[in-house]
Amino acid sequence: MNDRDDLTPAERRAFEELPRERAPRAALEERVVSALRRRGLLPIPLGAVASRRRLAPWLVGAVAASLALFAGGFAAGQYFGARSGAAAAISGAQAAGSATQVAAHVERAGALYVAALVALNQMNDSADAPTRAKARQAALSALGAAATEVAHLAPNDPLAAAVLRGMTEREQEQRPAPSTRSVVWF
Amino acid sequence: MTAGAAPELSAPADRELAARVLAGDEAAFRDLYRRHTPRLLQLALRLVGGEESDAEDVVQDTWIRATEKLDAFRWESAFGTWLHAIGVNVAREAARKRERRREADWPDGAEPPAAEPLDHVEPLDLERAIASLPAGYRTVLVLHDVEGFTHEAIAEQLGVTAGTTKSQLFWARRAARALLAPPTKGTSA
Repeated sequence: MNDRDDLTPAERRAFEELPRERAPRAALEERVVSALRRRGLLPIPLGAVASRRRLAPWLVGAVAASLALFAGGFAAGQYFGARSGAAAAISGAQAAGSATQVAAHVERAGALYVAALVALNQMNDSADAPTRAKARQAALSALGAAATEVAHLAPNDPLAAAVLRGMTEREQEQRPAPSTRSVVWF
Repeated sequence: MTAGAAPELSAPADRELAARVLAGDEAAFRDLYRRHTPRLLQLALRLVGGEESDAEDVVQDTWIRATEKLDAFRWESAFGTWLHAIGVNVAREAARKRERRREADWPDGAEPPAAEPLDHVEPLDLERAIASLPAGYRTVLVLHDVEGFTHEAIAEQLGVTAGTTKSQLFWARRAARALLAPPTKGTSA
């Protein structure tokens, strides 16, 4: 069989008319770059190094969700492990030298954050309303701070954008006075 | 592979960009990505059978593997050729996984019904027919009839003999024609 002789002219023409290129979605480029950064194949750029500094508030925010529970004075013993783990995550993230290490710290802090929320749900009935509200606000602040950082890392990430959009809308709905934004940082 | 290579003039620029990528220059990577991804994405899309999300996964994995191996690339071929060769392998793995999830019209190796060569083919119909082929047939058909690679180059890429790719191309074309052929009188109902 000769290479292309087996095709009729119409068939050959149809093959030739098929597009050879396809424009990728802009999000794909960010996805690929992020994947390379996660694997340490591309360094964290200066902007993201600055954002690594901003990561500390994110981590602090995550810890805030946990510590808010302590502030209420209940179930402290249950959380000592999480608190010390989170504190270690903060200092570890600050000292981390590679994208992989930072990603690991983020993952660990995220797990602590979710664990604190689970605990908060379990404690809902026994905690008093102001303490619950404070813990809930701390949790939402951490969520917003995390979404902001993710948006810095991946500007086209739809989930981060949706979270930020939702939080902005919520803020606007709940804003009785101009400066009621309360972010709980510890 | 020789066909489908990036233009000669772009080779030095690719090499320069690659050197900068190895030095940690993200902007250089983005330049390289933007230069080669449109063709890589289209190739991946055909090889995985038209599933956009699968094709994007292929593109991502291809760039990861290429970047991992970049310092070992000897520049004996054009960067685009090398990248697409990686992409073909990644896409074949993806296509195999995908193949397990769907029922192909003809399993690889099965004999498609005989069909006459066609006098008229719409590219869109051809694209659909290619997507419907079993992964093995599709790969050879795409690399040969769309991308223009020789049987020898395809055989080297796929790790088979040229005789095998010729046989696969024969059956792939036959299967595609059977998919594209209008129903003939007397065969329906």
